[in-house]
Amino acid sequence: MTTDVQTLSQPRTKDRVSFFASPRAIPYMLLLPAIVVILSVVLVPLLVSFWTSFTAYNLTKPATLFQFVGLRNYQRLLTNADFWWAFGRTFVFVTITLNLEMLLGLGLALLVNKITWGQRTLRTIMMFPMMFSPILVGFQFKYIFNDSIGLLNNALFDLHIISQPIPWLVDGTLANFSIIFAEIWMSTSVFAILLLAGLMALPKEPLEAARVDGCNPLQVFQHITLPFLMPFVYIAMTIRSLDVARAYDMVKIMTNGGPAGRTELLWTLMTRTGYQNSQMGMANAMGYVSIILSIVFTFYFYRKLVAARTFMGGAQ
Amino acid sequence: MATKFLAKALLASVALATLSGAVMAQEFDYGSFPGYTLKVKLIGGTQYEKLYTRIPEWEALTGAKVEIVSSKNHFDLDREIKQDIASGQITWCVGSNHTSFAPQYGDLYIDLAQSIPASELAKYVPGTLQASMVDGRLVQLPRVTDVSNLYYRKDLYEDPAKMEAYKAKFGTDLAPPKTFDEFKQQIIFFADAPNLYGTAFAGKDEGMSGRFMEILRANGGDLFDANWKPTFNSPEGVAALQWFKDIYDAGAVPAGTVNYTWDEIGQAMAAGQLAVDLDWPGFAGFYSDPTASKIADHLGFAVAPVGTSGKRGGWSGSHSFSVTEACDNKPAAVSLAVFLTNDDSELMEAEAGNLPTRSATFDQAVKYFNENGKTALAEMFPIWQASLADARTPPLIPQWIEVSNVLWPQLQAAIVGEKTPQEALDQAAADATTILEDAGILKQ
Repeated sequence: MTTDVQTLSQPRTKDRVSFFASPRAIPYMLLLPAIVVILSVVLVPLLVSFWTSFTAYNLTKPATLFQFVGLRNYQRLLTNADFWWAFGRTFVFVTITLNLEMLLGLGLALLVNKITWGQRTLRTIMMFPMMFSPILVGFQFKYIFNDSIGLLNNALFDLHIISQPIPWLVDGTLANFSIIFAEIWMSTSVFAILLLAGLMALPKEPLEAARVDGCNPLQVFQHITLPFLMPFVYIAMTIRSLDVARAYDMVKIMTNGGPAGRTELLWTLMTRTGYQNSQMGMANAMGYVSIILSIVFTFYFYRKLVAARTFMGGAQ
Repeated sequence: MATKFLAKALLASVALATLSGAVMAQEFDYGSFPGYTLKVKLIGGTQYEKLYTRIPEWEALTGAKVEIVSSKNHFDLDREIKQDIASGQITWCVGSNHTSFAPQYGDLYIDLAQSIPASELAKYVPGTLQASMVDGRLVQLPRVTDVSNLYYRKDLYEDPAKMEAYKAKFGTDLAPPKTFDEFKQQIIFFADAPNLYGTAFAGKDEGMSGRFMEILRANGGDLFDANWKPTFNSPEGVAALQWFKDIYDAGAVPAGTVNYTWDEIGQAMAAGQLAVDLDWPGFAGFYSDPTASKIADHLGFAVAPVGTSGKRGGWSGSHSFSVTEACDNKPAAVSLAVFLTNDDSELMEAEAGNLPTRSATFDQAVKYFNENGKTALAEMFPIWQASLADARTPPLIPQWIEVSNVLWPQLQAAIVGEKTPQEALDQAAADATTILEDAGILKQ
């Protein structure tokens, strides 16, 4: 009997050995280090964090990692008004910021593209805000928008535009505007650089043909330049949507989600829950619910990207 | 014979005196650890790092080396330490700690009372040392203490026009406030926005919770009852929160104060934008420095006001050093912790304007200030020292920061007018109840 089993198992082992020794295995073997790295730094933490979202895991009590509480964290989240306000606010924040960054970035790219002398220098200067740490940008705008010693209010006082200080970082609308302004100041150049790359790759022939056919500049932009740029726009949108949805550093410094939760975004809430309150199980549950937001944006922009590329291919 | 006896008695008494003198002067034995490298995680920042210039002295004394493996602000350090606990990677021996943070860390740190002689511990301010204990264990050695008292602008309080106007309006002389009601009255009286505000307060994070707790306790209330049931939504709590709301609604504090922490308040006071500031001792050096502060020549000090119960809230805490259970050379770690809080270290802290944690240092510091022309600090020290008698820490439970994080957003909501004080405090009390029930501290 034993002999039979050994006999039966021999060809399989032989197959396996021959596969690993064969040229077919080479791509897999070459990819193996990357697969191992990805599994260890992405998949394993992802699975562990997913597990912890079903536990009462407290960061300072490692034993709670195995204290299974089922769906309790998710059930609490469903009825947690603060979380859903932060969720909705993050959605609005991402939508407004992305659209404004896109419009301003497009404008900047079109202007810079027109320049023939010193364009390289201007492109470098345009990238300066991206080089600052978000924390430094947060501090910078915190002092610009400070109601009593801030640059903006002082300028408005000196120009006799206001007689009482404007509470930029306190009023619900103004505080969110201030944070969006800071985010746009720092990251509009991402859009500008990507769209400028698109403009520089734009073939000259269709533009010249359109002009010969009597199209005005607006028509050229609407029917040739913009459709050609749309894939670049959606790629930039996809990258930036994931970036903006993770907004934390600047908000932490400027308002820390306050006052009274008026500027609370998902990441300030999750960080406070996970690290200050040590409730890592609940914070991870928040994270997994929040992923919905990133999936929605990414899915939407990829669909738009595919549609834009189809258009470029002449299907429409 | 009598002469011989007298000589023996004299010799014996001299010997006894010498012996007792030797015991009196007995110093802590810092030990010898040649070749050993002690890994430490210390709080960073200009005001904290001057003390670390003494580390080479300890290295020369013991033969050990100190490797600072992390130096961050306390909030980042707290996060890092929690990650270390979660991953089980406690590879360091001495860590900076704080009274408010210490209860969170469970059994991460050793009971220092088991490693340090009682004679050495007796040199620390008893109340401060008591506040450094968690569950009866001395988990930290305090290096500087925080307690808040009043800084005020003498030029405003001694301005004849303001003195006359105040007397006419309230019927009493203008003097630093003795009660929180009087304090509120003066904050509103002095306010002349946007050039001058009555005061500003830390309006977010634990700073907001702490200030509220201070007035709550001064009014005779407290955060929790003996069974850890939240009681801060009591009438005393509502009155404490109304105090903040009244000065905010009157425009007597900057509207942005709900986003302020200590940095903004310190800058505003030094710029002459505030009339009074209830604040920690560390600002005394800054406010009295004419190169950095516009109010240096007019700086006055007064003890914090009392509440309606006639008591001071005395919100207090200490920065400290702790030694990990996982440390591979605890005697060396304890030696460094004691060295960094010994008399010489405390004098160095005090000379920078910080409130020391060793009793003997207070007199030495005042002497030093007087000899070096720092009269403002010499005036400040006895006032802050006196208020230590009333000082109380936040609740020393692991959930304090978590409770604080549900409390301060609700306090803000009431201050900016989104909720009534009662609604806000009821919501915070309900959230705090859930936290304490989940932790098993409060039974359902």
